[in-house]
Amino acid sequence: MGESSEDIDQMFSTLLGEMDLLTQSLGVDTLPPPDPNPPRAEFNYSVGFKDLNESLNALEDQDLDALMADLVADISEAEQRTIQAQKESLQNQHHSASLQASIFSGAASLGYGTNVAATGISQYEDDLPPPPADPVLDLPLPPPPPEPLSQEEEEAQAKADKIKLALEKLKEAKVKKLVVKVHMNDNSTKSLMVDERQLARDVLDNLFEKTHCDCNVDWCLYEIYPELQIERFFEDHENVVEVLSDWTRDTENKILFLEKEEKYAVFKNPQNFYLDNRGKKESKETNEKMNAKNKESLLEESFCGTSIIVPELEGALYLKEDGKKSWKRRYFLLRASGIYYVPKGKTKTSRDLACFIQFENVNIYYGTQHKMKYKAPTDYCFVLKHPQIQKESQYIKYLCCDDTRTLNQWVMGIRIAKYGKTLYDNYQRAVAKAGLASRWTNLGTVNAAAPAQPSTGPKTGTTQPNGQIPQATHSVSAVLQEAQRHAETSKDKKPALGNHHDPAVPRAPHAPKSSLPPPPPVRRSSDTSGSPATPLKAKGTGGGGLPAARARARPRPRLRQAAPRGGQEASCAPQEAREPRAPRRSRRRGARFHVRPHESFAKEERQRVLGTGMMSVPEGEASLTPSAGFASRLP
Amino acid sequence: MAGMKTASGDYIDSSWELRVFVGEEDPEAESVTLRVTGESHIGGVLLKIVEQINRKQDWSDHAIWWEQKRQWLLQTHWTLDKYGILADARLFFGPQHRPVILRLPNRRALRLRASFSQPLFQAVAAICRLLSIRHPEELSLLRAPEKKEKKKKEKEPEEELYDLSKVVLAGGVAPALFRGMPAHFSDSAQTEACYHMLSRPQPPPDPLLLQRLPRPSSLSDKTQLHSRWLDSSRCLMQQGIKAGDALWLRFKYYSFFDLDPKTDPVRLTQLYEQARWDLLLEEIDCTEEEMMVFAALQYHINKLSQSGEVGEPAGTDPGLDDLDVALSNLEVKLEGSAPTDVLDSLTTIPELKDHLRIFRPRKLTLKGYRQHWVVFKETTLSYYKSQDEAPGDPIQQLNLKGCEVVPDVNVSGQKFCIKLLVPSPEGMSEIYLRCQDQYARWMAGCRLASKGRTMADSSYTSEVQAILAFLSLQRTGSGGPGNHPHGPDASAEGLNPYGLVAPRFQRKFKAKQLTPRILEAHQNVAQLSLAEAQLRFIQAWQSLPDFGISYVMVRFKGSRKDEILGIANNRLIRIDLAVGDVVKTWRFSNMRQWNVNWDIRQVAIEFDEHINVAFSCVSASCRIVHEYIGGYIFLSTRERARGEELDEDLFLQLTGGHEAF
Repeated sequence: MGESSEDIDQMFSTLLGEMDLLTQSLGVDTLPPPDPNPPRAEFNYSVGFKDLNESLNALEDQDLDALMADLVADISEAEQRTIQAQKESLQNQHHSASLQASIFSGAASLGYGTNVAATGISQYEDDLPPPPADPVLDLPLPPPPPEPLSQEEEEAQAKADKIKLALEKLKEAKVKKLVVKVHMNDNSTKSLMVDERQLARDVLDNLFEKTHCDCNVDWCLYEIYPELQIERFFEDHENVVEVLSDWTRDTENKILFLEKEEKYAVFKNPQNFYLDNRGKKESKETNEKMNAKNKESLLEESFCGTSIIVPELEGALYLKEDGKKSWKRRYFLLRASGIYYVPKGKTKTSRDLACFIQFENVNIYYGTQHKMKYKAPTDYCFVLKHPQIQKESQYIKYLCCDDTRTLNQWVMGIRIAKYGKTLYDNYQRAVAKAGLASRWTNLGTVNAAAPAQPSTGPKTGTTQPNGQIPQATHSVSAVLQEAQRHAETSKDKKPALGNHHDPAVPRAPHAPKSSLPPPPPVRRSSDTSGSPATPLKAKGTGGGGLPAARARARPRPRLRQAAPRGGQEASCAPQEAREPRAPRRSRRRGARFHVRPHESFAKEERQRVLGTGMMSVPEGEASLTPSAGFASRLP
Repeated sequence: MAGMKTASGDYIDSSWELRVFVGEEDPEAESVTLRVTGESHIGGVLLKIVEQINRKQDWSDHAIWWEQKRQWLLQTHWTLDKYGILADARLFFGPQHRPVILRLPNRRALRLRASFSQPLFQAVAAICRLLSIRHPEELSLLRAPEKKEKKKKEKEPEEELYDLSKVVLAGGVAPALFRGMPAHFSDSAQTEACYHMLSRPQPPPDPLLLQRLPRPSSLSDKTQLHSRWLDSSRCLMQQGIKAGDALWLRFKYYSFFDLDPKTDPVRLTQLYEQARWDLLLEEIDCTEEEMMVFAALQYHINKLSQSGEVGEPAGTDPGLDDLDVALSNLEVKLEGSAPTDVLDSLTTIPELKDHLRIFRPRKLTLKGYRQHWVVFKETTLSYYKSQDEAPGDPIQQLNLKGCEVVPDVNVSGQKFCIKLLVPSPEGMSEIYLRCQDQYARWMAGCRLASKGRTMADSSYTSEVQAILAFLSLQRTGSGGPGNHPHGPDASAEGLNPYGLVAPRFQRKFKAKQLTPRILEAHQNVAQLSLAEAQLRFIQAWQSLPDFGISYVMVRFKGSRKDEILGIANNRLIRIDLAVGDVVKTWRFSNMRQWNVNWDIRQVAIEFDEHINVAFSCVSASCRIVHEYIGGYIFLSTRERARGEELDEDLFLQLTGGHEAF
């Protein structure tokens, strides 16, 4: 059966060869065997093998509306761009590219079903694009008029912009889009358009807009494999379409949108992962006590050095034996290079360890109810498998821990080893996003807090590229969008972050940078939705009662030089806290602690890399200054 | 003598004679005698000495060393009375900077002039400035271990001694770059060679030498090294170092601030070298898999740094000649295809077609390799019964994206196989391709395909070359017992895999077992540049669980046996001496203060929540432990904004202390 299905598979792949070239899609071989009667209702997403109508039929009404909004937005966006780029002859073939692209999946599915893949495609190509584009082309519109300045530089600039635009479109023409059905936690579903370039973060942002949830960092895209009973969250930097393309066509896999506090648990309570390995009894109590400052320095130490530090994890776990339902207990150790185990009769020194698995080619999943399914000793299981494997196979590794705590430590540890600093970057983006959102809710409730904002916000709010019509009041939404745009443009200055799909870029000629309003004030907080007064309070109470008190009670660190009777004694107190605005001279004298407000977790360039976890902070930094712009904080 | 000590009234009018020896400490040195009073300033005395010597010479670096008190008289405005100098003082008028032989982290010896009068911290900073290593606070000097005389004599003549003792740096300013190196290195061919030695990784060591070098066999052996650190707050002279002595320069604190490959070539290279030697001499343990990555990186780094040398074909090896021929053939091919049509080359994706033998392992089959017509296009591999059937349906088609590519090569056995583990929804399918001379091209194609790239990718050529080069490595490395004359040749060229791994792996594996594993690891790093590869090496080193721990043998208060104290950049670790298990960890962030009682050699540390720890130091002086702790606290106060400016007072405050009296 395997052989024959492969043959059919390959037959289709030849048929689809040409189409594949155009769509640059999933790769021929991942096409599953054809299923004459695909069970419509059970499809959770359409990869584009089916008729567009069919996939649309499968959607519920409100989904359709949302989708239409997406499409309309795409079209209008495309129109706008065509207007700007009209003079570029090169573009003629590619105008309204996004519309074209969005229909590609439908085109593909036609071909799939009817053996006329090539013609199907050309039909679509020939028929569809012109309508929106042609009329637009004849309109003599914007770019020429604003040329009174008409210096050569500006022309050159404009030309460069156009070329850029054209290139972007060339790319866009090949962008594939998927309709993804996302299950919400209230059992409803939402369908969205996900294009090939979008990362999980972008999809989350999109969902935030659609759902008006609180946008906190715990929200995640979550994939569930009902067949294998495994699940995991998408990492924010993962390409969604790429992940989905590993699913088989008749899959039961689902995507959920939900809150999982495990997602970034390590950044909220790093001590649970980094300081927990020995002496469990005492650690449980001290864990809760760790104050924000120490957490922060621990994170700095672990994630901001030349190389990240993977939590030291070791312990006995159960390993499911290949192809059997029996579980063997072994002593495992986590290292940056992979998971190792102690072979029988050996010690756990590095030289004796045997490699169990390395992380390059596997993803980590939680196993659910494996006690039932595989007779696991407990229900705290995790699974390592190559993302492309979708069925039970001897290449899937099942491991089982004694309790949740251990499970979470292992899963997080493996994620840190696998993704490294990216994980921390993701978290910081999520925090920034959450900060923006909480700012927005503040605005919604306490509008007086930022009276200047609504008036300066541009009126382009409703033509958000996603076409979402925000349900909140207009002024507020404008602010939000403005804020988002700021977030995005400022992110763009970071290399490799957010340089994809930035709606602000194509419109740049219309809205010169100088006219942008000052960035909105931003809370750096990740977890507060309190009133603007909180920062002040935070400053006072600082890193919790004990250290703050200590900070004031004890003198600055210095060398105590006494001439004692017995012997000469030198003593150095390592760390003390100071008042934030201590004069510079005294600051330089000693290493010192600084009490930082609990919610100053957002990364900023002023934080220092401190090897031993000591904090030192320049004057006045401890106070959250609501007037400071967001953009200025990001490097 | 006691009668002479009333230095108050009597000597104001009268003067007395002060004898000063000229030159370094040497009983037969020439001396001058001056008439001075207690109120004479040191500056005046210096002037008189120079006058008396009456020799034209640059005396600016000279100062007076007081032998009994082991002290330099550097405050020229102080009077003799203030220093308490009387006629019986043995004073030496000598240079403050004297030559020493510095053993660098890359194990090369370098002669330079170091300050014998400044605190070691400053002296190291000056040395580092000369060598253009940023962040000198992370480095320090160790006494060279005492060597057994016999062995030393054998080795000595071979060694090349670099000399920077003539180079003088203008103070204060960071040296400007000239011809890609700090200006002071470009003076002569020798100094230029010296810069190359500093900034380029050394070739792998001779495996035989590696086996002979001492390696720590236990934790207590690892404590030995740390007993030799010099004191940062005192000068070299005070620590009994003499001109011409050998000292080791090493990174002491494992907290590397702002490591930037662009501005730090020397620092990066020396750090890489220290890490490499750490691993090769088993100062730090790693697993087999990790060792293979380290070996692959070393091989890669060595290859890049060798190729950076000016014209160095060195083709005595037949294997290399073949390689050269193969490479030039390849180049011709690629050039021939390139300039035909731009559009064409952009759109057409090169493909490979050939007769290969294929083997698919299955349960209960004994079928071996069978010949097929194989076509490799984009990232897809298809195979057919014969070439005639090629337009039709292939027997199987595999998309190699995301697959695992494992070489299975034995050069002497003329076996060139590629093992592919191709993921599919059902699991992994395994397939072996047996190639002949096409191996490198197919292998490169498979590797790129596994990363989702096609053979049109720009890295294809270099990938092919890397594979060919590695095959030649194996050719020389796996000479085997019958082919022994090859052995020394190979090691001379640095292509012996034994020079890349710690000796315990030499014992565990044969070279021909080792080579394919290094090759396998190499495919993941083959695209890195020299600096990137070095940085990757350092990062992997930093990721080892035991990284950055300095071991000292101590005895905890109340304990009856010796234990090990590990000092890392963020914590102190109590380790069982016999078993090596971690007993307890204390983090510096919880530390309130530490005290040292110099008389009973005890360090007492107070942590949060009234945890008190006290121990006496056994293997090293408690000064070393104290300095380590203080040093790490100091390093943690560094801030990016302040750049390279150092708060030296703070450092001395945190690490000194016992010198206060």
